[in-house]
Amino acid sequence: MDTSGISEIQKTFDKAIESIDDKKSLQDLKVEYLGKKGKVTGLMKEMKNLSNEDKPLYGAKVNEVRSHITEVIEEKEAVLASAALEAQLKEETIDVSLPGRTFKLGSPHPLSRTIEDIEDFFIGLGYEIAEGYEVETDYFNFEALNLPKSHPARDMQDSFYFSEDILLRTHTSPVQARTMQARKGAGPVKIICPGKVYRRDSDDATHSHQFTQIEGLVVDRNIHMSDLKGTLELFAKEMFGAEREIRLRPSYFPFTEPSVEVDISCFKCKGAGCNVCKGSGWIEILGAGMVHPNVLEMAGFDPDEYSGFAFGMGPDRIAMLKYGIEDIRHFYTNDLRFIKQFTATEDGGNQSESI
Amino acid sequence: MRVSKEWLNEWIPVDVSIDELAERITRGGIEVDDVIDYTEGIKNLVVGYVESVEQHPEADRLKICQVNTGEETNQIVCGAPNVKADSYVIVSRVGGRLPGGIKIKRAKLRGEVSEGMICSLEELGIPEDYIPKEYQNGIFMFNEAKNIGTDALSALYLDDQVMDFDLTPNRKDALSMAGAAYETRALFGGEVTRPKSPLTEHEDNGSAAFSIRNEDADAVPYYGARIVRDVEIKPAPTWMQVRLIKAGIRPINNVVDISNYVLLEFGQPLHMFDRDKIGSDEIVTRFAGQDEEMTTLDDKIRKLNDSDIVITNGREPIALAGVMGGDFSEVTESTTTVLIESALFNPVSIRKTSNRLNLRSEASARFEKGVSHEFVLEALDRAAYLLEKYAGGRVTGSVISDGELNLENSRISVTGSFINNRLGMDLSTEEIVGSLSKLGLETEVRGETLNISIPSRRDDLKIREDITEEVARIYGYDALPSSLPEYTSITPGKLTDEQKKVRIIRHQLESLGLTQAINYALTSREKSKQFTERTEGLELLMPMSEDHAVLRNSMIPHLIDNAVYNVNRQQKDVQLYEMGRVFVSRGEGNQPEEIEMLGGVLTGEMNRTEWLGTSVPADFYAAKGIVDSIFEKLGVTDNISYRQSEGFREMHPGRTADIYFGEEKIGFAGEIHPKFAEDNDLNRTAVFEISIDQLLSVKNGIIVYEQLSKYPTITRDIALVVEQSVTADALMNTIRKAAKKYLEDVFVFDVYEGENVADGMKSVAIRLTYLNREQTLTDEEIEAVHSPVLEALEQDGASIR
Repeated sequence: MDTSGISEIQKTFDKAIESIDDKKSLQDLKVEYLGKKGKVTGLMKEMKNLSNEDKPLYGAKVNEVRSHITEVIEEKEAVLASAALEAQLKEETIDVSLPGRTFKLGSPHPLSRTIEDIEDFFIGLGYEIAEGYEVETDYFNFEALNLPKSHPARDMQDSFYFSEDILLRTHTSPVQARTMQARKGAGPVKIICPGKVYRRDSDDATHSHQFTQIEGLVVDRNIHMSDLKGTLELFAKEMFGAEREIRLRPSYFPFTEPSVEVDISCFKCKGAGCNVCKGSGWIEILGAGMVHPNVLEMAGFDPDEYSGFAFGMGPDRIAMLKYGIEDIRHFYTNDLRFIKQFTATEDGGNQSESI
Repeated sequence: MRVSKEWLNEWIPVDVSIDELAERITRGGIEVDDVIDYTEGIKNLVVGYVESVEQHPEADRLKICQVNTGEETNQIVCGAPNVKADSYVIVSRVGGRLPGGIKIKRAKLRGEVSEGMICSLEELGIPEDYIPKEYQNGIFMFNEAKNIGTDALSALYLDDQVMDFDLTPNRKDALSMAGAAYETRALFGGEVTRPKSPLTEHEDNGSAAFSIRNEDADAVPYYGARIVRDVEIKPAPTWMQVRLIKAGIRPINNVVDISNYVLLEFGQPLHMFDRDKIGSDEIVTRFAGQDEEMTTLDDKIRKLNDSDIVITNGREPIALAGVMGGDFSEVTESTTTVLIESALFNPVSIRKTSNRLNLRSEASARFEKGVSHEFVLEALDRAAYLLEKYAGGRVTGSVISDGELNLENSRISVTGSFINNRLGMDLSTEEIVGSLSKLGLETEVRGETLNISIPSRRDDLKIREDITEEVARIYGYDALPSSLPEYTSITPGKLTDEQKKVRIIRHQLESLGLTQAINYALTSREKSKQFTERTEGLELLMPMSEDHAVLRNSMIPHLIDNAVYNVNRQQKDVQLYEMGRVFVSRGEGNQPEEIEMLGGVLTGEMNRTEWLGTSVPADFYAAKGIVDSIFEKLGVTDNISYRQSEGFREMHPGRTADIYFGEEKIGFAGEIHPKFAEDNDLNRTAVFEISIDQLLSVKNGIIVYEQLSKYPTITRDIALVVEQSVTADALMNTIRKAAKKYLEDVFVFDVYEGENVADGMKSVAIRLTYLNREQTLTDEEIEAVHSPVLEALEQDGASIR
């Protein structure tokens, strides 16, 4: 029995497969050998000419070749597939340094974020946020705050009036008066009043006819001026850094008695004196005091039983100091190049060293 | 108020540096705004005596002076027109320095040697406004003989520093040297010495008696006067002139200067009349008549009203009380008899008058705060004495007056425990009494109660809280402990629902790419009428400018301005939002309605990725999508509808929708009119504005959870051909009404006009999603609900493709 043809076919195949390097040729080779009219199939056709004795031997030999070829082709297929995948991945490789698809972020206004920070601090101390009218009556803007019509600190020239009794509020204090009135003489009152206020100032780098203010008010039995100092000390440390100190200086506001200006130790130079604190080491940041008994009384609180403190600050000024903003008009021009700088989240790290 | 240290030391000696003095006074509650040091930059300045003056041979305007400067006589070339022989002058010697870094060197001027410089006051750093007229264009000359060669700064009383007090309105007590002295005493101790006025009253022989009458005690509670005869008008002594200059007042002549000087000493404004020009033998004070006229000393005819107070001669006004003198009664070069006025005037009247006429002076500033009774007569006597001493006057008769001065000390009673409770301190009675005594306030202790006696110079102290403040101030706030309040009940600190939602809206808009703007509430008349149906805004009585004359009716005009501003600065994609208020008038004299608004502007492209060439156009649908996302977040989507509208005339009539919450219009969204855009140099721009009060007031409560369905949803797509004018909303409504059951969702997924669709028609593809939460839907069940939908659409005129 001559099986040299069989060996020959395996040899030819082994030779042929070497030069195959694509899927199509491999498929063709597969058909050439294993197809219905293929070479291996052809070998089987020879069987009928063999003796019964030789048939099993021959068949075994052919099957051996068939499984060899099948195996090799499968191996080759795997190799080719993996090469093809590799080529595809290589081809699909992109420049990851190109910009991502834009999902543009807007920015909060720097005043909003300043106000929100202050609000959140006082919410933590149990305060609520009270809001009120921007167009107020003369009574709530002035009289209820111990500024009667004849008071020298009142001047038509300083306020925007719409009629004799109606004006744009010059501070957020009317919210305090209204809130106290609504509480009908019962404490505790713990509120923060943020909002826009208006004064007859010509707009320039440090003045704006519209600006923002945050005032705070606490009224209860046995509220002391030391409570005011402690509260503001905590505030200064929270907002401007743990090493900040505060200093109270006597001052005057019609709605508080005693009244003080509150300075914080300069967060830029740490009190050594620099351009931010004008060399003094201190920055004036708040006005405050004990609520004037007339104010308590007009709002329905008994000044013998109740006492309270109030304070007020300007988020515009605070933001200007904090970020080193040189012109208050930036807040109201809405230049994207300005506001967009305030996109990122701020946290407790290194918070007051930025300027 | 400017306080000279040299002058202060005459009232109360304080042996500390000017810096410490200023710092302690500031910490005590009077802010020292500035310290002016007159010695700064000056060296080698002496008193010189001009022996002779000759014309410079080569220069018309220069003179050659021989000046004795003590040890020697120097030749100094001087250009001042008023230089004259036999005068005492200020000389900066060779090697000397003047403010501004000027060094004096030996020089030759047009061939003549000049050794030093004869100085003007301006060259010593004194502002021109305060320099007496006779020295304004020339050198200064002393009015009296001086020691030649001595330090000129000392001779000029300029070896001195001046503190500029920035006084809060409650510290009228410090508007005088007396006040500054008492404040200094409170801070440093020591005793205050008030200047004496040992005047001599002469018999008034021969002349008619003079009388004073106040017609209205409300206008003038007290009016006192003295008459001084034989007055010689001349310059005041140098020390007085210089003290006035340091206080920021220009010296005029001895009579006027004495009046100003005493005002600075005691804070009591005086007025000097020429007795002989008053035109009668009486002074009658009263409120002016409405429209009464008078001519003031600046030669202006003033129309008065009935809140002005006038000093009259019984017939006509001779002065506008506390504000300005009258023309014919003022002191002139020829005056010989002076009537000194020292009075109390109604502070409110003075304030109104000086404000209305825009005449503010050192006098009116003090009168409008109310002057202290205790200085009225002291100042009157002081002025009379100074006239006697420095104007050769003869004080005739005694004080002529009408009205009452209240010279009794007032009393405030307070307990130590009240003061300690308000301050949160634990001061002993001795400590409290000690602090008050530094202020010159005497306290009588009766058990717990402190009775404090208040002199009229501190009549600003009225209630026990004022005493609390004085104690704290003098004791020092550094000693105040820090504590936190102990409340009578604990209440949580939190945002209201509305405040929370406002923050959510803001953060969401920012996440969607919109940046927060804050604009002015005041706008121009023109802009107040844009993007609103309101034709009237709230107008200010006295606007500062046309741009800020009226309250805004809409958020959009300023947002458009912001867009234009940014586009003009190479920011082509601008998306901004603003939350703020618009104001709707409720009639004059009433507070307007304030509506909380959310406005937005979109121009350029959104989410632009340049290198991929992708972006979202800033069109109507972008605006709608943004506001829809807000409605979704607030959980109000079901109540929102958009209705096609022509909108305001600034809007694109075909691309604007009114936004309804239920049946209430709450805003609009759309593209601005192409013409309006072009007028503003903008490309396509979309805007939206929503009144958010109603939205914020909706209470959603907690979210209702639904279990997930176990059964599949079935979708059916419908392609319809309808007239172009049929809106998607109309089709949706028909479908929702017709689908009785199982309809979970319905939305348009394609709109097509053009080829294969007849003119005026459009093809709309809609996807319906059905779900039965109980079991899997069968084809029969879907048919049963879907067929009526198709029928209803056909009935409405749609043809199904």
